[in-house]
Amino acid sequence: MAEQVSQPRNWSSRSIGAAWQHQFFYLLLRLGGRRAAYLFLYLVVGYYMVLRPDQRAKCAPYVRHRFPAAGAWMRFIHSYCMSLGLGRALLDRALVGILGPERLRIDVDQREELLGLVAEGRGLVLMTAHLGSWQAALARVDFLRRPVYMLMHREAGDIDRHYYEHQGEESPFRMIDPTGFLGGAVEMLTALKQGDIVSVMGDRMLGADRNSIAVEFLGGEVHFPYSAYKLASASGAPIAVLFNHKTGPDSYRIELVRVIRVPREKGRQGEEFRPYVAEFVRALEEYVQAHPYQFFNFFDLWNKEG
Amino acid sequence: MSAELKQKLKQVLIAELNLEDITPEEIADDAPLFGDGLGLDSLDAVELVVLIQKHFGVEIKDMEEGRPALQSINSLAAFIEAKHSQ
Repeated sequence: MAEQVSQPRNWSSRSIGAAWQHQFFYLLLRLGGRRAAYLFLYLVVGYYMVLRPDQRAKCAPYVRHRFPAAGAWMRFIHSYCMSLGLGRALLDRALVGILGPERLRIDVDQREELLGLVAEGRGLVLMTAHLGSWQAALARVDFLRRPVYMLMHREAGDIDRHYYEHQGEESPFRMIDPTGFLGGAVEMLTALKQGDIVSVMGDRMLGADRNSIAVEFLGGEVHFPYSAYKLASASGAPIAVLFNHKTGPDSYRIELVRVIRVPREKGRQGEEFRPYVAEFVRALEEYVQAHPYQFFNFFDLWNKEG
Repeated sequence: MSAELKQKLKQVLIAELNLEDITPEEIADDAPLFGDGLGLDSLDAVELVVLIQKHFGVEIKDMEEGRPALQSINSLAAFIEAKHSQ
């Protein structure tokens, strides 16, 4: 059933590491490059997994659903790999910011198809998820030659730097704060009507958005937001589902895994958008099955209370 | 401001946003549309922008226009009238 749920957020964008720990890794990247930073990362992740059960517990909901047959030991291994994956993605993002974009090769599949979608002139919703190094990946969609608006909220006290901040550069994206006026909905609609690109996360509720629909994901019901589908319906913009994953020590691949078209005037009710949300969730599940340690959701998606 | 325009706005809102158990007379001209007032949310705002264009031929082009216009029936009516007179 589609419903408007009152979701007390049980996740945070804030890093678990202290500021000095971040600085330490940035220094390692500068002095020793990726290998040195990765080497320390193995130890740090090991520390968190062995001595910080609270951090291990954050991996548990996803691991339990992605690897339902795994025993305690294998769940520990999967949690380690998942956390290591996130650590690498964050280091890769910092690497791009500190040592330059040429240090990371990001291949984009289906470039022509993406250019074709933008050329339709109705705007484009780039729907991503917490997969791979999504920020660094989005930086590579500059070949689309349209402004990219990103729905993003940064919490007070968040010390994690975006890649462009390492060089003191301006954001290549135009940020829309989901906690702002009307959740940024009108700003997003305006951008789409101008033919611009709006990037949203399809796998997480943000800001004051209470519009979600429950869809089966990895064997359990999960609430996914449907506001972006409503925006696509109102503007006529196609939705490009764009995922990425790490393919090697210094490389990522961005893939256009689905193009979802939501007919105009779909109305207001969540049920209207179920087929489109389900299409995204199917794509996400397929991707997560193929790249299990590239999905970074450290909170309980399946918990109906939150 | 035209009372007729405000009445039509209320009727459009009720019909198109499926506002149940409410009549145009119960919507105060100066009540906030979002949050505690009429209780609309961000998705309704998207719908509202589309409806204004569809029914009144007026486009909310950006947030500079949108923020003051989307406050109440009064502000919406004023916005539409101002656009029509341009």
